[in-house]
Amino acid sequence: MDIQFTEQQLALRDELRAYFGKLMTPELVAECERDMGEGGGPLWRDALRQMGRDGWIGVGWPESWGGRGMSPLEQFIFVEEIMRAGYPFPFLTTESVGPMLAEHGNEWIKRELVPRILSGELLIAIGYSEPGAGTDLANLKTSAVRDGDDWVINGQKMWTSLAHFCDYTWLAVRTDPNAPKKHKGISMFLVPNSDPGWSCTPVHTLGGVRTNATYYDNIRVSNDHLVGELHGGWKLITGQLNRERLSLINFGPVSQLFNQVVRWAGSARLPAGGRVIDQPWVQQNLGRCRALIECMKLIVYKQSWAMTEGVLEMADASAAKVYGSEGFIEVYRMLGEIVGQAGLVRAGCARTAAEAAKLERLYRTASIITFGGGANEIQRDIISAAGLWMPRASR
Amino acid sequence: MDAPRQSLSRKGTSMEFGFSAEQQEVRQLARKILSEQVSAQSLSAYDEYQSPRFDRALWRQLVAAGLPSVALEQRYGGMGFGFMELALFIEEVGRSIAPVPAIAHSVSAALAIQRFGSEAMKEAVLPLAAAGELLLTAALSEQLNEAPADPLAVTAVTDGADLVLSGTKTAVPFAAHAQRILLAARAEAGVAVVLLDPAAAGVTLADLQVTSFEPQCELALASVRVPAADVITATDGARVMQWIAERTTAAICAHQLGAADCAMRMAASYTSERKQFDVPVATFQAVGHRMADCYIDVECLRLTTYQAVSLLDSGVDATTEVQIAKIWAGDTGHRVSYATQHVHGGTGIDREYPLWRYCLWLRQNEMTLGCSSFHVAQLGSRLAAGEALFS
Repeated sequence: MDIQFTEQQLALRDELRAYFGKLMTPELVAECERDMGEGGGPLWRDALRQMGRDGWIGVGWPESWGGRGMSPLEQFIFVEEIMRAGYPFPFLTTESVGPMLAEHGNEWIKRELVPRILSGELLIAIGYSEPGAGTDLANLKTSAVRDGDDWVINGQKMWTSLAHFCDYTWLAVRTDPNAPKKHKGISMFLVPNSDPGWSCTPVHTLGGVRTNATYYDNIRVSNDHLVGELHGGWKLITGQLNRERLSLINFGPVSQLFNQVVRWAGSARLPAGGRVIDQPWVQQNLGRCRALIECMKLIVYKQSWAMTEGVLEMADASAAKVYGSEGFIEVYRMLGEIVGQAGLVRAGCARTAAEAAKLERLYRTASIITFGGGANEIQRDIISAAGLWMPRASR
Repeated sequence: MDAPRQSLSRKGTSMEFGFSAEQQEVRQLARKILSEQVSAQSLSAYDEYQSPRFDRALWRQLVAAGLPSVALEQRYGGMGFGFMELALFIEEVGRSIAPVPAIAHSVSAALAIQRFGSEAMKEAVLPLAAAGELLLTAALSEQLNEAPADPLAVTAVTDGADLVLSGTKTAVPFAAHAQRILLAARAEAGVAVVLLDPAAAGVTLADLQVTSFEPQCELALASVRVPAADVITATDGARVMQWIAERTTAAICAHQLGAADCAMRMAASYTSERKQFDVPVATFQAVGHRMADCYIDVECLRLTTYQAVSLLDSGVDATTEVQIAKIWAGDTGHRVSYATQHVHGGTGIDREYPLWRYCLWLRQNEMTLGCSSFHVAQLGSRLAAGEALFS
């Protein structure tokens, strides 16, 4: 039991911190803020290509695939530093779908697409959810039908985030409508968003972040676009979701935000005299947040360690997701209480205070990961079954 | 005193959440003895203070296995391991809620004497303590004072080379069984720490009957003379008591971890067997989810406790980490107690079923050496003073 980073890990952290410090020019920071931390702008694209040239894409991929072969702990440091820098890194493409393509893709995908992911040229959106298929994803209806050597794809997807500036969609479709079990008839395709049959309409969310509904109208693709085995898509979906879930919770940014609020409350004066932080209820909130975030840190460290050692328990991965996603909301609420009215003033107005506006936005966007990436109810089902051996009701 | 954290060399090869072979052996040995020797049946003998909750035969067996003195140096008859090994033993004592004075004897007293006692005191006390021939305890609590490093209710005045103590300590575990009681007193120039012989003139012990049935006493001192040889420090006791309080608190967290984990698994097993509407109660999602929340709480207590213990074991400053672990010990203990009682239905409170004694211990540990709200307030005031921020 020893919860400290090694010299090499600390050196990696310092290297990354210096690198991202240089990469994040004031212009790029402004563009990322304008785009609600989603990326997609021209400077954001340039920076991604730069990272590709410098070898900072695919850090967790094996070296034989063109990656850096970093351990999960080193990848964790990479993610923490990039989050700290505030660059909206396209993790879904590079760390989640990308490795699935490198592992399961055919020769064409490995030759044509994978290198472009590593060079920061190619971005991929994820098309799973549909109007009638959310948590019960296997109920999806979008179909691919064989026509000669090609496939013809029809259907609609929901919450296809980033699709409006991505090059391809990693699409889950039904290829066997007669499969005895719904999830046995699903396959994965890579569909070009440039196809005339592809279209998208924006969906605007509470947090201000744009997502999309996407439509697939008689899109014809060659068999090269099928990823993995025909009807074997479910395994790829769950593999990808497991990778995604692990990247949802990180503690670097929230610990930084905590420190900023403590420092602000330690210097801000109350009109009646004394500091904001002198109030007992403020100290109470800070003490609670400090204990909560400390535990978040330990959970993500342990998770990275367990992955490095190959001993990650399913229940612990789900526990991290539930604890982290619900913990963020608690922290944003309690810190928001401390900054008070200023925490209701949005960014971009003349009276905006930067840290308080961050809390205004974070509080407004925090619900996404309690249901996204596998709803927390499903995670709790997994915890009681895999962690405590409790039987589950059949669904 | 302890080295500041910055100077700790990080020479380990990687972050390590696992346990060494020796640590796993300590845990397995403790679990084997305690699971064989402690049962609902054996514990029932102590309910309602029918007899003092101290199984001397079990204690002798643990002593023979070297577990209470696992962290004492070999020259004093110990095994020469560290605080982590001792905490793993105590976690198993918590898992079995065994009727033994492990925390009081091994952590609050023996470990402290090894660290701060004179060579003469160590040679006189520790080999006997390791052999089970001398029982030690510590009086860390005063009425309405949760800060052992800042004693207010007992005073010490010097008389030649001796100290004369007056005042009252409360909730002293195993005071009526111990041959020596470590305690602190407010002195003219600081804090004194002594090793008291409870047979000395002027000492009065009054039995307390507490929620967990642990033997505890109120300790009253009326001009009790402590000879110079039994004084650990006459003035510099605040740092000694802080050292002891942090390790005792971490040990309570480890005990709470074992107890909470056991109660949680009991509830998971029970709801998997118990049927209503022809299906196991566990298959109701509301029940499964409440247990999932227990699982997360216990995991949080586990991680924060192991972190605190590991830092203390390395001798680095861990004040923040100990406070956070105790906050979790209180919160997790309370929530697991009520969730496990609830999903058991009436069985959870039936004295024929083992859960209820665990609930008493979860409460005892929650309230000992500062509840969650106390430690949250402490942490908050340290943050207000510019301490305890994230690095």
